[in-house]
Amino acid sequence: MTLLLGARNLRRDYQLGRGGEVVHAVRGVSLEVEQGEYVAIVGPSGSGKSSLLNLLGAIDTPDQGELTIAGRRIEKLSDRELTDFRLRNIGFVFQRFYLLPVLTARENVELPMAEAGVSRADRRARASELLRYVGLERRERHRPTQLSGGEQQRVAIARALANRPALLLADEPTGELDARTGEEIIALFERLNSDGTTLIVVTHDEGLASAARRVVHMKDGAIVHQEVSRVRAGNDDTGAVPSQK
Amino acid sequence: MLLTALPLLFALQAQVRTIAIGADLAADAGIRVGDTVVVSARPGGGTEAAGAGAEGLAGRAVDTVVVSAIVERRADPSEIARNDYRVRLHLDQLQHLIGYGDRVDRFAVGTVDSAATERALGAINDAAFGFQAYRSRDIAAETSTTFEVVSRFHRAIGVITIVASAVFLLCILLLKVEERRRDVGALRLIGLSRWTVFRSVVIEAAFVSVLGSGLGVAVGWITSAAVNAYYQAFYRTPLRFSIVTGDIVLFSVLLSLALGVVAGALAALRLVRTAPLTLIGR
Amino acid sequence: MRSLLAMAALRRHGARTVLAVLGVAVAAAMLLCMVMLSAGLRESFRELLLSRGFQLRLSPRGTLPFDTEATITGATEISRVLRTLPDVTTVSAVLGGQLHVERGGESITSFALGVNPAAQGDYELLSGRDALAPDAMVVNDAFLEATGVQVGDTLDVAAGYNPQLRSYSGERRLVVSGRARFLYLAAGQSAVALRIGTLQAMTGRARNDEVSLFMLRLKDGADVEAVRRWIQGHVPRVDAISTAEAMQRVDERLSYFRQLGFILGAVSLIVGFLLVTTLVTVSVNERVGEIAVMRAMGISRAHVVQQILLEGLAISLAGAVMGLGLGLVTARYLNSILSAFPGLPAAIDFFLFQPRSAWTALGLLVIVGIAAGIYPSWRAATLPIATALHEEAVA
Repeated sequence: MTLLLGARNLRRDYQLGRGGEVVHAVRGVSLEVEQGEYVAIVGPSGSGKSSLLNLLGAIDTPDQGELTIAGRRIEKLSDRELTDFRLRNIGFVFQRFYLLPVLTARENVELPMAEAGVSRADRRARASELLRYVGLERRERHRPTQLSGGEQQRVAIARALANRPALLLADEPTGELDARTGEEIIALFERLNSDGTTLIVVTHDEGLASAARRVVHMKDGAIVHQEVSRVRAGNDDTGAVPSQK
Repeated sequence: MLLTALPLLFALQAQVRTIAIGADLAADAGIRVGDTVVVSARPGGGTEAAGAGAEGLAGRAVDTVVVSAIVERRADPSEIARNDYRVRLHLDQLQHLIGYGDRVDRFAVGTVDSAATERALGAINDAAFGFQAYRSRDIAAETSTTFEVVSRFHRAIGVITIVASAVFLLCILLLKVEERRRDVGALRLIGLSRWTVFRSVVIEAAFVSVLGSGLGVAVGWITSAAVNAYYQAFYRTPLRFSIVTGDIVLFSVLLSLALGVVAGALAALRLVRTAPLTLIGR
Repeated sequence: MRSLLAMAALRRHGARTVLAVLGVAVAAAMLLCMVMLSAGLRESFRELLLSRGFQLRLSPRGTLPFDTEATITGATEISRVLRTLPDVTTVSAVLGGQLHVERGGESITSFALGVNPAAQGDYELLSGRDALAPDAMVVNDAFLEATGVQVGDTLDVAAGYNPQLRSYSGERRLVVSGRARFLYLAAGQSAVALRIGTLQAMTGRARNDEVSLFMLRLKDGADVEAVRRWIQGHVPRVDAISTAEAMQRVDERLSYFRQLGFILGAVSLIVGFLLVTTLVTVSVNERVGEIAVMRAMGISRAHVVQQILLEGLAISLAGAVMGLGLGLVTARYLNSILSAFPGLPAAIDFFLFQPRSAWTALGLLVIVGIAAGIYPSWRAATLPIATALHEEAVA
């Protein structure tokens, strides 16, 4: 198995207001994720899960430590290089979906591809393909306000897959969904992983965590222990994500 | 009348008449009180040095006079745009200079009161030949067309500015109110009535309007002072071009308040008509 | 995609966008008016001065043409001197005065111009014949209306009138030979033109051979300034004024309007700027989460900036287009107010529309639109992604 992500001794502190208390959100976290792995990060509120995910996804910079993704040292990249790296290598799914309400479902999925310079015809085709993959081929022209929460999250997942990222990160992806819809998303994540997508998911959802192969437990900004799921130790090969790496 | 300025130092044999000149002429020509100059009624007129009353070219007289006073310009709007210099001579002196004989252009008559003015007007017009008497205010009305035009122009600009300000104010208030949709939605959900929300938005808008108009009055006062300073120097006049009066301040503040209240009310109306859940984005 | 996002963002809050565009339109209209005011008066006056091809005007020294009642004596001699100049092709002497006509017991006073009809630049003949004969005069429509006469009628006119004694002096019998449009007179001002010798005789100015003004036409390519300087130095009783200098002197007299135009134009730009920047800033503040996600996705700072700038630019452009029509209407209205200036030639416009004015106003608004988006787009581009997402989640 190839090492996709290597984090060594990451630290991140936040100061609350000017001259306020310093919060040690991430304290010396080291983590390795292999390609095709499905990792869940769990822990109580304020344990630093989301902060760690932000660091791993290169949308926040660590105060100390090293981070390597797909062979590149992330902390050494300029802002422009970092932006481009995220565009082409990392997909994000958020708790609140964050679809652009002024665009249709398909246009939302096309957005990262447009930024990456993909031609209109190609990105339309891929967007349709991705929406079909997540089961929303009939909702292409709908705007987010016309979709349910689960549907919006599936569009967000399709968007995250647009540029064939090496790594998919999700922060509480079922946080705003009801139980049944959440199960659909869990199933989708399992399918993604089966098709070869490397996943790191931050969650309170036990179902989502149990679907992961490895569960990382955090508390007070540090990893307290990790466990490999006996159920998910092997790989299933149930079908590929459209043209995934 | 063209004035030729020559600071001559020779002694005059005849008694020399005196004139008063404007401060701008004194400054531009470097003339001081006590200087002797030659005056002529002829454009580009001669520079013959002579005693008083010598004949110059083609029947127009030249005269050697002493500047006895320098006069500040009057605050007369009609003189503003003209770069004329003003010189005051004794009546007979000017009559002689320009060959007028015993003629004048007009008499100015002062009366005891307005009733006396009417009586004098009638008596003069009945008795006199060769001239007509007019009330000063009638003359003023006839000659004030220029200022009426400028006033109308200023009023038109003022109206346009008010319209623009009203649109601007409405837009800004709408933006600011819309920015707080979620807060308002949350307040409505916890039980605040539409009327409470409406009232607080309108009060806030009124407060902002009054504060803003206060700031605007201060800026206007400073600008007015700057305009006066600049144009008084530019046109060399004591005339005040811009005046900020109590009435104007009151009008501005009241108008701002009215516009602000209307704009705030319209913005608030939009907000309270929207369902609270929609306001918070559900 | 960026322009799509920018337009979609504006459509999202239609009412506010419409209001902002309206605000910019009013500012644009005012700006266009002020640009037209700054250039219009000057250009309009220049066109008028050059309309008949006379590049130099000679007035009594120390005065502007027809500014005072001063006259130039010895006109014939001065004309002779002027004709010796090789660059001078036409010398037109003009005398100004008044003409009185008694009609229906009332005395009607008109402005009178004594000219050489063969070489004049003060009127355009519209119908009938020019005032070539010593007893002929051409008149304008205001005169015809005031007196009720027609072309071809004979009138008793006088150069002087004593209203108290109701007596006339300098009387003549003249024929209305033609109808003309006087170029330099105010609208509605009654005017006649007759041979200069006739008017001189009627006003008693023949004795000193007085005129009010000379107008000179020069050869094509002649150095106007050189001729002007020569005259100024060799003819002491006159001031020679070129078109450029006349414009400069009028500029000084009416500098107030130019300055007002500049100030109000600047204020319009500032107002437009504030409006657009406020709208776009609020719009960005509302979309912090979206923008942070776009940055997280990999949308570059530059593209975020471009999108925001496009929003500001779109509002400015839409407002500018709407403001163009509004500005022309407003300018027409303001021009009608200022045209009532006493003594102002009817041909003068304070607000003259030139395509250059529209392009200038549009260019300024484009710059303002872009500048207005700079602050909000900088804010959007420099959002700390993680912090913004966290704050959005908390909110």
